[in-house]
Amino acid sequence: MVFWISAAVLTVVATLLVLLPLTRRVQAPVSDNQYDVEVYRDQLRELDADEKRGLIDPVSSEQARAEIGRRLLKSAKAVEDDKAIVRPTKSATREWLTLATVLAIPLISWGIYTKLGSPDLPAQPLAERLAKPADQSTPAELIARAEAHLALNPDDGQGWEVLAPIYLRMGRPGDAVAAYQNTIRLNGDSAGRQLGLGQALTAETGGKITARAEEAFKRAMTLDPKDMRPQFYIIDGWMQQGRLPEARDLIRKLLAEAPADVPWRDQAQAALTRLDHEIAGDAPDVSDVEKTGPDASQVEAAAGMNNQDRAAMIEGMVANLAEKLKQSPDDIEGWERLVRSYVVLNRPNDALEALGRARKVLSADKLARLDAVANELGLADEPDQPENN
Amino acid sequence: MTVELGHFALVLALALSIIQAVLPVLGARRNDDRMMAVAVPASFTVFALIALSFAALTSAHVLSDFSVQNVFENSHSQKPLLYKFTGVWGNHEGSMLLWVLILSFFTALVAFFGNNLPPTLKANVLGVQAWIGSAFLLFIVGTSNPFARLNPAPIEGQDLNPILQDIGLAIHPPMLYLGYVGFSVCFSFAVAALIDGRIDAAWARWVRPWTLTAWIFLTGGIAMGSYWAYYELGWGGWWFWDPVENASFMPWLAGTALLHSALVMEKRSALKIWTVLLAILTFSLSLLGTFLVRSGVLTSVHTFATDPGRGLFILAILVLFIGGSLALFAWRAQTLAPGGLFQPISREGALVFNNLFLTTAAATVLIGTLYPLLLESLTGEKISVGAPFFNLTFGPLMIPLLAAVPFGPLLAWKRGDILAVAQRLMTAFFVALLVVAFVLYKTSASGVLAAFGIGLAVWLMLGAVTDLSLKAGIGKTSLRGMAQRITGLPRSVFGTAFAHFGLGITLLGIVATTTFATESVLVMKPGDGIRAGGYTLRFDRVDAVKGSNYTEDQGKFTILNDEGQPVTDLVSAKRFFPVRKMQTTEAGIKTFMFSQLYVSLGDAAKDGGIVVRIWWKPLVTLIWLGGVVMMIGGGMSLLDRRLRIGAPAKSKLGKPRPARAIS
Repeated sequence: MVFWISAAVLTVVATLLVLLPLTRRVQAPVSDNQYDVEVYRDQLRELDADEKRGLIDPVSSEQARAEIGRRLLKSAKAVEDDKAIVRPTKSATREWLTLATVLAIPLISWGIYTKLGSPDLPAQPLAERLAKPADQSTPAELIARAEAHLALNPDDGQGWEVLAPIYLRMGRPGDAVAAYQNTIRLNGDSAGRQLGLGQALTAETGGKITARAEEAFKRAMTLDPKDMRPQFYIIDGWMQQGRLPEARDLIRKLLAEAPADVPWRDQAQAALTRLDHEIAGDAPDVSDVEKTGPDASQVEAAAGMNNQDRAAMIEGMVANLAEKLKQSPDDIEGWERLVRSYVVLNRPNDALEALGRARKVLSADKLARLDAVANELGLADEPDQPENN
Repeated sequence: MTVELGHFALVLALALSIIQAVLPVLGARRNDDRMMAVAVPASFTVFALIALSFAALTSAHVLSDFSVQNVFENSHSQKPLLYKFTGVWGNHEGSMLLWVLILSFFTALVAFFGNNLPPTLKANVLGVQAWIGSAFLLFIVGTSNPFARLNPAPIEGQDLNPILQDIGLAIHPPMLYLGYVGFSVCFSFAVAALIDGRIDAAWARWVRPWTLTAWIFLTGGIAMGSYWAYYELGWGGWWFWDPVENASFMPWLAGTALLHSALVMEKRSALKIWTVLLAILTFSLSLLGTFLVRSGVLTSVHTFATDPGRGLFILAILVLFIGGSLALFAWRAQTLAPGGLFQPISREGALVFNNLFLTTAAATVLIGTLYPLLLESLTGEKISVGAPFFNLTFGPLMIPLLAAVPFGPLLAWKRGDILAVAQRLMTAFFVALLVVAFVLYKTSASGVLAAFGIGLAVWLMLGAVTDLSLKAGIGKTSLRGMAQRITGLPRSVFGTAFAHFGLGITLLGIVATTTFATESVLVMKPGDGIRAGGYTLRFDRVDAVKGSNYTEDQGKFTILNDEGQPVTDLVSAKRFFPVRKMQTTEAGIKTFMFSQLYVSLGDAAKDGGIVVRIWWKPLVTLIWLGGVVMMIGGGMSLLDRRLRIGAPAKSKLGKPRPARAIS
């Protein structure tokens, strides 16, 4: 609001300032030639002064005086002629232009400003933004405030301790490295800080684990041998460097020491298998990968499709499965998948029909399993209102 | 709110400028005094509005308001305060705003000092100023708005280009712009005369102070820019014939010619039409300079193509103003009454000689600057027209001009006696010859060029001294009489002598530096020493230092004299600015009298040493000192009382009322 009032005041003042001369009488205007007359008189005086000072010889002085005199006479005559010039005091054109001016100034300025300006956006000087109460600040502002504080108190260990992991999460690994180094310098060594330093260094290189990062992870491992994370990074680093047997040995050691139910066991086991293959020099065996599902290229293709195409592709796959079950009906998993698919595709009649066909071919124990699935999916044994289409 | 009010003030200034561009000129055509009277308050208001706008942008920079895009792109909260100020014009948008601020300032000055101008002329001049102002304001608002906002605002800026974070930038561009834009007043006077079809008797007198003011600032701006390039870029050179430098040098050459031809017009009412043309050309070259630097066409013609909005807009302004004014000149010039006649050998003749050589020199620089650009845009071939071209063309043009300079002020107006003048210059000539012989003797045959160059410089300086002593009446009167005469001389006589003397000083510096400078490049380890210009430079160590927004490696050196005693220390550094990931050199420079020892650090060598470049630059500071002396000369001329003339009193016609105002 203050802005709009200020802008309006500016506009009115500016308009008035140029409007005033348009409406006020100018006192007895002077002919332009009169100015020339003054100049020539001035020149004559200057000539006299020069002559007195001896800067000009009498002959030249006389010539110059005659020349100036001639011009003076000519201008004086022009002044007389100028008196005949009509100077309009009332003029329709002027009145029209005055009106146009009064309209043009606000129209141009407000027209352009409202198109380009951001009148509602307040000025945001940095100092003011940083002085806001913490609950009104954006995270970026809070960080900047902490930075400003640390720039003045670079030995505030607590500040670095808080800032370091934030930097790491925000994707400012360079700053995170510096912050972790500061907190280690000020607050002493700890497994968490060394791990953070290593992670920051790794983020800085885009995943490559350098000697410096490895050193930090090793330090973290020594300080807290129970934390698995530094060891995983070390393994990753060794694998990057091609130090495969060392990586394998460490994984084995970890698996041997860990309780049976750790969540990373399967992954570590898989990595170990892969490493064993790589060290042995044979390609990993992929023959046991399930063949019946869509293969990788199909999934990839599905991801790139629009909904319609994807639905068509799924329909096609379901039809394939149904065809396959006609030829080799003794496949409980196949029937299960088919029934589930029909339900997902919202084709309950087809699901029931498939269930009925399965009943004819499957053995009792397998049928019980399929019925359980059907119950789970909310399919009754018999359709209440069989609809055939 | 401040930022938005600044933005609004800028737009309002544009609206008002458009009114100022139309009403007064129309009023002048219709003899309507009221419409003409709009020009003065409009000039003041536009200046006040643009000043408000500039102040708003400055405050945004100083307070690090990163919601303003311009601040975000060119500032940083940790930047030293001084560079938060200078950063305002260290970028495209801000510098254009400074450009129009200075333009409106000059317009307001004309309005303020213009009481003694005929109303028609004043209305036309202020109107034409407003044409230029409107065009550039439109350019800023349309393509280079410094008040574009960012929402949400970033928390930190991208910092100013490190090589611009320097005190040189604080002074150099404003001075250069004061020069460039100052010539707009001369241009407006010329166009006003053409519109009206008449040149007032005092036209040249009114134009001269503006030419002088612009020329003084342009001289200072060029000298400052040259010194800045010398110490900041770390190459030890002071002039590179770089297009950006040429862009400021061309208006200077034309402006110098204008200064001299306006003299003829003022004193003798001759060369009127030529002077009007020169005024147009000088400002056109200023506009061309602005275009070359601001459109991005210099970095590559392709940059120009990638940002066509700006480049084409400035090109349109350029075509409109240069083409329009020249067309107006072709159409209206014959309506202007031709001036007085003169003999070829006369002060006027000498000034014509000056004009011929200066304009040819300006044309040479123009060709050397534009030809590579044209060639690149037409064929895509990149060529570089460097020092060899300019040394072969510009150099030979300057020699006869400089040799003739001492004759000019001694020749009489209308018809002069060249033999008599030659006689009076005998002493100066013989001393100059002696200097040539002395330098030849000292340097043997290798120094022929240096000897004649230095001889020419001495000739210029002694010529100026001769002029002053003759006007003081040396040999004619007693010492007291001379003192009396000297104090009675018009200040412009001193102005001429100082300006010509300063030219000699600059030439001496140029010749001495280019011919006698020594350069060595070597790897130095702590404790190593090397001789340069009568001193020994010892490398002590490298220290790592942290600055506010940079880190630097400081090379510490000690300078020893012939006895092995330390004279002084020298620090040469390399700075690294982490935000922009850029490095700058901070050359170590020590001045001994007028000469300088210049040390620039290179990369660290493998064996623990560091690459160091050392120059001994004899008399190098004279190059810029000469510029300062020229500026002082210009200032003296500006203070000349002749420039103050009376205006007719409005109530009683014919009775002169002395007006204190100049112009």
